[in-house]
Amino acid sequence: MSAQKKRNFKIEAFKHRVEVDPKYAEKTWKILEHAIHEIYNHNASGLSFEELYRNAYNMVLHKYGEKLYSGLVTTMTWHLKEIAKSIEAAQGGLFLEELNRKWGDHNKALQMIRDILMYMDRTFVPSNRKTPVHELGLNLWRDNIIHSHKIQTRLLDTLLDLIHRERTGEVINRGLMRNITKMLMDLGSSVYQEDFERPFLEVSASFYSGESQQFIECCDCGDYLKKAERRLNEEMERVSHYLDAKSEAKITSVVEKEMIANHMQRLVHMENSGLVNMLVDDKYEDLSRMYNLFRRVPEGLSTIRDVMTSHLRETGKQLVSDPERLRDPVDFVQRLLDMKDKHDKIISIAFNNDKTFQNALNSSFEYFINLNNRSPEFISLYVDDKLRKGLKGVTEEDVEVVLDKVMMLFRYLQEKDVFEKYYKQHLAKRLLSGKTVSDDAERSMIVKLKTECGYQFTSKLEGMFTDMRTSQDTMQGFYASQYSETGDGPTLAVQVLTTGSWPTQPSAPCNLPAEILGVCEKFRAYYLGTHTGRRLTWQTNMGTADIKATFGKGQKHELNVSTYQMCVLMLFNSADRLSYKEIEQATEIPAADLKRCLQSLACVKGKNVLRKEPMSKDIAEDDAFYFNDKFTSKFIKVKIGTVVAQKESEPEKHETRQRVEEDRKPQIEAAIVRIMKSRRVLDHNSIVTEVTTQLQSRFLPNPVVIKKRIESLIEREFLERDKADRKLYRYLA
Amino acid sequence: MASGSDRVRFNVGGKIFETTATILANAGRQSMLGSLLDEFWKPRQPAGGGEYFIDRNPACFAVLLDLLRTGELHVPPNIPERLLYREALFYGLLDHVRAARWGPFDGNLLRPAASVPGRAPGDGTAIRAGPDGGCCVAHGSMVHVYDWMLEEHRPISLDYQQVNDVGYLDAQSIVVTARERLGRGEGGMGLFSSSTGELRHRFRVAHDDQVKSFTAGALSFSNSDYKIFASCKGRCNEYGIGVWDHDTGLQVDFFYEPTGCLLGDADKLQWLDGSNCLMVATLFPRTDNCFIGLLDFREKSVVWSWSDARITSSLDDKKVVHAIAMEDGRSVCVVNQYEDLGFMDLRSNAGGVRWSSRSKLMNRKVPEEESCYPKLAAHGGQLFSSMNDSISVFCGPERVLTSTLRSTYGGSICDFSIGGDRLFALHSDENVFDVWETPPSPIF
Repeated sequence: MSAQKKRNFKIEAFKHRVEVDPKYAEKTWKILEHAIHEIYNHNASGLSFEELYRNAYNMVLHKYGEKLYSGLVTTMTWHLKEIAKSIEAAQGGLFLEELNRKWGDHNKALQMIRDILMYMDRTFVPSNRKTPVHELGLNLWRDNIIHSHKIQTRLLDTLLDLIHRERTGEVINRGLMRNITKMLMDLGSSVYQEDFERPFLEVSASFYSGESQQFIECCDCGDYLKKAERRLNEEMERVSHYLDAKSEAKITSVVEKEMIANHMQRLVHMENSGLVNMLVDDKYEDLSRMYNLFRRVPEGLSTIRDVMTSHLRETGKQLVSDPERLRDPVDFVQRLLDMKDKHDKIISIAFNNDKTFQNALNSSFEYFINLNNRSPEFISLYVDDKLRKGLKGVTEEDVEVVLDKVMMLFRYLQEKDVFEKYYKQHLAKRLLSGKTVSDDAERSMIVKLKTECGYQFTSKLEGMFTDMRTSQDTMQGFYASQYSETGDGPTLAVQVLTTGSWPTQPSAPCNLPAEILGVCEKFRAYYLGTHTGRRLTWQTNMGTADIKATFGKGQKHELNVSTYQMCVLMLFNSADRLSYKEIEQATEIPAADLKRCLQSLACVKGKNVLRKEPMSKDIAEDDAFYFNDKFTSKFIKVKIGTVVAQKESEPEKHETRQRVEEDRKPQIEAAIVRIMKSRRVLDHNSIVTEVTTQLQSRFLPNPVVIKKRIESLIEREFLERDKADRKLYRYLA
Repeated sequence: MASGSDRVRFNVGGKIFETTATILANAGRQSMLGSLLDEFWKPRQPAGGGEYFIDRNPACFAVLLDLLRTGELHVPPNIPERLLYREALFYGLLDHVRAARWGPFDGNLLRPAASVPGRAPGDGTAIRAGPDGGCCVAHGSMVHVYDWMLEEHRPISLDYQQVNDVGYLDAQSIVVTARERLGRGEGGMGLFSSSTGELRHRFRVAHDDQVKSFTAGALSFSNSDYKIFASCKGRCNEYGIGVWDHDTGLQVDFFYEPTGCLLGDADKLQWLDGSNCLMVATLFPRTDNCFIGLLDFREKSVVWSWSDARITSSLDDKKVVHAIAMEDGRSVCVVNQYEDLGFMDLRSNAGGVRWSSRSKLMNRKVPEEESCYPKLAAHGGQLFSSMNDSISVFCGPERVLTSTLRSTYGGSICDFSIGGDRLFALHSDENVFDVWETPPSPIF
């Protein structure tokens, strides 16, 4: 029994029912393989999707996934090789069409195969790390068609040839191109790049290199740029029609490099049509084109900017150093303004209001305006001219525009304090002679200066305005108090000027005629009565007078003259002939002024109320003067100007300069002390730098002057040199 | 007659079904039923009286057809789920079934869906929810992987070394960190396929261009710039946070541990998308002094930190045992051994922990014997904390306790995780994990 028990039971292996048929897998695969053939042969109408799907499912379920997958690869590869042959056989122009048609067929077949093998794609492929069916189909197409020896180069050559033909003006089938490049992109960006884009860029580079060489030999700059722009647009259009959008940057950079970057210098400096000519002739369109094209390449804009800058500096320098121009300050400034306007317009129209170009323009102006040290004076004269007469009948807005433009030039000035000096003089003249056209315009100018340079800069100018207003009130008060005593005597208008606010030179007063003197004394008494502790000095060199004169034949004229001239003329109330010496003695007018005033009374045609002997242009010390009985004028009112150079004479200029230098000294010292007070110890160079930065809104201090000021401060024991390091200064509290 | 031509007849396993092409279109092009009616195949009339014959289970087809019609899944009790899933896989409708199986996650509507016992010995280390409803459980040196149907796949292990942390990079890939094997010189971190369990990549750490072995601890992923972070301990004091690239798997950075900051031994890493910082928490009982810091990798600086090193405390006092950064990235929530919640403001460096007063009002929970320390999670504006055998759900800005999830079996919860619209809770006493789901939306 035990022996029986020991008998080994043979356990029968469990038989899987499906595996009973050993040919099962092979049979199923045959069905599927047949289906794939039918699909590729456009003969799929007899196929049953449900059946094929079930068969593929069963193969995967019964672990024949590997067989199914490798079978698919083999079958598909076989078909693709067949397709490759038929594409290779296509003649000439039909090549691309055949390729495109087969690509469409393959895609459709691939979709159907994927449908059948969906179950494999979902289960077998991910767990066995295989390529999904769709991707596999694309990869096989790539390897068997696109990379096939006979197709690869032919495809590339065909594509490049078509593009070349389109570049030379032929019409090509863009839809077909689009499909082919789309195919390359579908096969992966690396296929598109390696098999098409890279060679395409190379060919394009050599094409444009040749074409640009040809263009530059025979075109002027403007035409060349037009052509380059057109080519660039064509390439962008090409990309949008049938290339990958990512190619745009690459192909445009090729065109930019070949057509622009490589020829930049030559274009800009092209004779008779280069950048300078465009600037001179205001060729906005060409300039704008150049800007837009050059902007695309490195160093492009800086090339334009450099040429523009040197052109500006050159023309500006010519303008400010042309002796012809220096004769007429108003014209000089007007030309500067015109030049600025012209280039502003170019920058805004053609250069996209580029900040860097504006800066270049500004720095150029700053450079050449300061080349001429009379620029501050001229600018002030220009304002003077505008505010005196030029603005009559001009609207307030226009005044503002003019003043704003002047301020622009003002900003370029390094020696703003010199401008201030002149402006003060010119303003004083305007105010005292009552020649300002508009108080608002004057004030607006001062506000502009104030915003630009701060309160300090304009405080004195504002003081002048205050003086004018107070003087009006004072005169009203004066006449109110003198009400009872007004008679036939001369009417006096006094402007009380605060010392220091005005650019007055102390000058000895001349002897006023007795009639005037009386009124003057009355005013003095009145003024000092209302304001105690003040001192009044007459500035006879700055006044004006209206006098009535009767000439021969009873002709009456009202003469508008300066105080000096009035003094001279009043002498002729009691005499018909006076020698120069007699006049000088009687009036005590300084010789230079007297000569000028006599000159204007006797030597100006049409205004010669005096007659001089001998007749000559200049006044000599032994001349004699007669009342000109025969004086006639068609005007009742005759304005007799003083012969003065509107511009400063050389010695005057020198004097102004000196005064400016003198005024700068305390400012520099103040700056040094301010800096040293906060820093305590500083070396020489740092002081110079800091002083320069602090003062540059007003003027550019000369380092030598700064050094002198430091020495002076050391002398006065504000500073001392460091005992160990002589280069260091120490602040002494 | 438009509706007539739209009609489709099926003979599934001998049973006739009739439906419309519109309903079948719901299956999508990537399914068998969708492809069947695609124009490529459509011109071919089905043989035999205009019906498509499908040799499959008719009962399951009925369920799936109903799913396509209504979007809802109703499985009659006589159909095993596994059978249905298999049929759904055949038709390519598995994703539809999964989407209809449970509703969008809401902590207050959760109900237990399954309890899955495991065979592994010892206490579980961690449980992690996958993005598609699956999960993985780390036990000792093994990681058991379950798909959303809760079918177990091949377990994962890295040289059979103690697993420290595990995480889903995506539904297909799991990253495992483990202790280094002495004398091997190989790092303790690998990337595995979740379906096949095969090792796909081993992460390396190089110091001064020299590859060194290391023990990897806590893990975190940043989905915004595709990086993987892990706390690392090298043999030669190379402590810190290693950073690898998602795609290449190569090391891209290493944040060396500055003095006073515990990084290499961290319990928890969490990437904060809003501030582009990594939160690192090294906590009791791993260290006596808890440290929480925010690292900025661009500047290699600790931009925010907190430590209880200077706060003198008795053992009974509040110890931070787990921490998470809230979803808005503005605060960190911490929990102590008594499940008291505390908050810290990430926007100021000064404040300490503001402990919520909730536990004072309630009876303070006493840790059961051999219980696990509480853990925290935040999801969809809700805050979850585990204690003993239950998980509390807190809602709203005041963090009001709104639900308690408790299962009677398995003992104390040692870890839990939320993801793929499911909550998984791993118990320590019995080797079992619970799956909680939100039921599908009401009928109307």
